[in-house]
Amino acid sequence: MKKVLVVDDSLSVARQLEKIIADSGDFTSVGHAKNGAEAIKMNHTENPDIICMDMNMPGMDGLTALRSLVVLDKDVKVVMVTSLGGVGDKFTEALKLGAKNVISKPFEAENVLQILREL
Amino acid sequence: MAVKFFGQFLVENNLVTREALLKAIDLQEQKNLKFGEMAISTGYVTKEEIERAHNLQLSRDMKLGDLLVELGILTLNQLNDIITRQQNTHLYIGEALVQVGALSSEQLQAHLDAFKKDQARFVSDRIELPAGIADGLVWEMTADLTYKMITRVLGLPFRAGKCQAVTTVDSNFMMAALDLVGDVEARFILSVSEGIQKEIAKAILREKSVDTEPVEVLEDTVMEFVNVVCGNVAAKASQMGKVMNINPPVALHPPATGLQIPSGCIALCFPIHVGENDKMELVLFIRQ
Repeated sequence: MKKVLVVDDSLSVARQLEKIIADSGDFTSVGHAKNGAEAIKMNHTENPDIICMDMNMPGMDGLTALRSLVVLDKDVKVVMVTSLGGVGDKFTEALKLGAKNVISKPFEAENVLQILREL
Repeated sequence: MAVKFFGQFLVENNLVTREALLKAIDLQEQKNLKFGEMAISTGYVTKEEIERAHNLQLSRDMKLGDLLVELGILTLNQLNDIITRQQNTHLYIGEALVQVGALSSEQLQAHLDAFKKDQARFVSDRIELPAGIADGLVWEMTADLTYKMITRVLGLPFRAGKCQAVTTVDSNFMMAALDLVGDVEARFILSVSEGIQKEIAKAILREKSVDTEPVEVLEDTVMEFVNVVCGNVAAKASQMGKVMNINPPVALHPPATGLQIPSGCIALCFPIHVGENDKMELVLFIRQ
């Protein structure tokens, strides 16, 4: 079963994503980081296969964390989960920095799982 | 369910690969000249004049073209000519995908039709603002998209009231605020009664009851709804040629006297009628 780390400052989004992951049968959640800096630490301690990360967070934002994560851990697959997915520049920047995909908010469970299964 | 740009729609629906999209974006970046590059290519300005204007932009909040006109380097006619040339030669992402071999012309047309159908629900209806509001189309779109998200994400029936300029904002159980920054700037505020806060929490958490949820989770759901609306507003604004970034949302607990309008801002209130015992308003503090 693949391990997923959720990174979002919103408690409600983290809860939604963790529920989708727990109900999937294919993935297991290894916890919830509230910003980019926590994500980098938890990637080291929890060694997830996939990171689902928000872009817009207080402290270290998602794109800054993505830059570090792809250098520190070449194996981890990062998917950005963001309300800014429809902003072409943000979407493109995330892909160029190494994100495997971008999920726009509001999201549906099937859409999230389809993208995670394709990784 | 969200506002998307065409490339994202194609990748999400497995119609092109992420790699093909990046290749097409690279091609766009090679072919689509930036304003300064196009201005030099027309011979209207020199590289040195563009560099001088770029340096001045560090201390002047102006677009490059407007600054070049103010400096007397370009005439208004030349500015318009450069913009027209940029528009006429722009390589769109769909055409770029055809050029890199990721799509055929027939596939592009079919996918564009599907994309327009998918995004039709976010096409803006006209909302009337008080006279004299700068960038009125952006704020009309903001209100319209908020209404659409209340319907689609929250599933709440409501009736939109008439938008009015206000000098104070009435108090309410809580408010979630988010600063929109960029070409146009405003503080987006969603003001909700206790009952509406619970309705938002039920929709966001997808739970039938939220009676046992802690206050921070209930408030977080309102902030997250505001975050989702504003992210989609930023996406629509970018389609309208306006760069807009969003800051993380915050919760506000206004005093009984209500919220004061910050200096330098105009406040617009959009009442959202949801029932006799509940109160919901969208308020925009628009920086002038």
